[in-house]
Amino acid sequence: MARSRSSRRSLAAGSIMFAPYLILLVLFGILPIIQATITSIGPSIVNPAGGLQNFADVVADVRFLPALMNVVVFLLMYVPAMIIVVSLMSLLLDTVQGRWNLPLRLTYIVPASMTGATAVLIWYFMLEPSLSPYRDALHALGITQGNQIWRQGGLAWIFVAMAFFVGAGNWIVVQYGSLQSISEDVLEAARIDGANAWQIGWRIKLPLIRKYLVYMGILVFAAGLQVFVEPQLISGSVYTGIAKDWSLNQLSYDLAFQSNNLAGSAALSLMLLVVCIVAAIVVIFRTDFFEGTGVGKK
Amino acid sequence: MTTESIALPGRGEGIVRTRGFGAVSGRVVVWIVLAVFGILSIVPMIWLILAPSKTGQQLNDNPPFSFGSFEQYGVTWNNLLSQNDGIILKWMANSVTYTASIVVISCVTAVLAGYALAATTLPFKRVLLIITLIAMIIPPVALVVPLFVEISAIGLYDNPASVILTSSFYPFGVFLAYIYFSTSIPTEIYEAAKVDGAGEFTTFFRIALPLSKGLFGMLAFFSFSAAWVNYFLPYVLLQSQENFNLSVGLGFLFTSSPALNPQNGAQQSLIGRPEIALASLLLAIPILIVFIASSRLLVRGVLAGAVKS
Repeated sequence: MARSRSSRRSLAAGSIMFAPYLILLVLFGILPIIQATITSIGPSIVNPAGGLQNFADVVADVRFLPALMNVVVFLLMYVPAMIIVVSLMSLLLDTVQGRWNLPLRLTYIVPASMTGATAVLIWYFMLEPSLSPYRDALHALGITQGNQIWRQGGLAWIFVAMAFFVGAGNWIVVQYGSLQSISEDVLEAARIDGANAWQIGWRIKLPLIRKYLVYMGILVFAAGLQVFVEPQLISGSVYTGIAKDWSLNQLSYDLAFQSNNLAGSAALSLMLLVVCIVAAIVVIFRTDFFEGTGVGKK
Repeated sequence: MTTESIALPGRGEGIVRTRGFGAVSGRVVVWIVLAVFGILSIVPMIWLILAPSKTGQQLNDNPPFSFGSFEQYGVTWNNLLSQNDGIILKWMANSVTYTASIVVISCVTAVLAGYALAATTLPFKRVLLIITLIAMIIPPVALVVPLFVEISAIGLYDNPASVILTSSFYPFGVFLAYIYFSTSIPTEIYEAAKVDGAGEFTTFFRIALPLSKGLFGMLAFFSFSAAWVNYFLPYVLLQSQENFNLSVGLGFLFTSSPALNPQNGAQQSLIGRPEIALASLLLAIPILIVFIASSRLLVRGVLAGAVKS
């Protein structure tokens, strides 16, 4: 009796505490998707009849396939580069304890402070042979004009470099933190068995943080799929039009704001969103990342 | 290279000495890799700090890491102020207001919701948790166009509230708070409080909250770093220059000034490369300071701390 009353009170209190977040979740997490779904099948400027034809129209758009290819190439370079470099660097960082560890970590997170518009600017300067701190290296490679680097066809590399530069350091520090959670007993046992640093890193530490690396890989993939700021700003400023509609998100943006085709834009956004939702569901139900958090079936 | 080949066949009696030698050379390689990565990480920031001390001409002619003069920082700043009657100040103020509002709303709602999921008898917990996880993994950028559609429909387009409210939705924070309250604080503590007759709110405010300073720090850190540099969402939701945050303002500066592309904008503009660099620096420095100040939080391992049972 007393227990059921206290659990009813707990229910009421819990609901009140959860409510503010729930409102935000519904308003800005769920409603926009519903609204976008309705918009995506509504009449559009190219297809007054509306319906699923909007999705077909977007896919048939001449800009769609090139943008898709750009994003695929971008992801094929970006995701493996992040996973390999971040794993390697966090393992190396983990082998040096002592007073230089913290300063190193601090330097690694510096680039994360230069995101978005700043990252674009930084890379413009870094790759501009007349201004760059690496101007000697660029000259040695025979690059004396910015437009030798900034040309269509070679852009994916630059955008990968930008995204990598902003994200890698932060992830190295995060995965270094994951490594810190490995019990000292496990490592000590391996040392007693005669494992060297390399074997401990490769055979013991890496498998133990595998789920964090998988999680990172999927987040990085989902974010990379949505690449927008870098090509958009470069294209809108320095090299006008060089990366116009380069990524799928830019195409979605242009459909909405240039072509006045909101239905098409919503349709494309939803397609990208579905891929991200699938990726999310894979992480939640097909990896052990959220094991023990009350999500999986017990 | 040679040390590797010495170390590899090292078996039997010589093992201690050869491994010692290999280990030392291995350390050297590790240190070189770590140091080079560190240098590459800070080169752009150093360059960015030095750039506004030079005139546009000096930036072009002098070595990349040369220093101009302290006075030139003032000149560069005044040039930046000349843009639209000092609109940069408005952008900075907007960034501060938006970010502060977002951090407060997102952290408070996340802590409350995380606690409700962890310690109260909320119905549909598993479903709510799964939706939260999905929302957390989807990059915010994916929702920009749908949010634009919705925000326009409810008449909040070009209103700062649209950016503040949409950015305050913080599923990652809810998840972190949920894990914190369900693992870092032993459930016995809540049970004991309830046996003593404390209600949920009392338990939350008297027991859970005082134990959550570290949690708040971490939540605020992530919320701040996302909100301060937020570009795509405000870029899409805001139209008037006076509503821009610094990030969007910076993007506007370099698409509209001739600094980076002589074909852009008015040729008489005072906005050149040093001014653009200074504006970027103003955007980057607060984040950098927060990162350095929070480095202690990051040591403990965000992901590991979050899911370790």
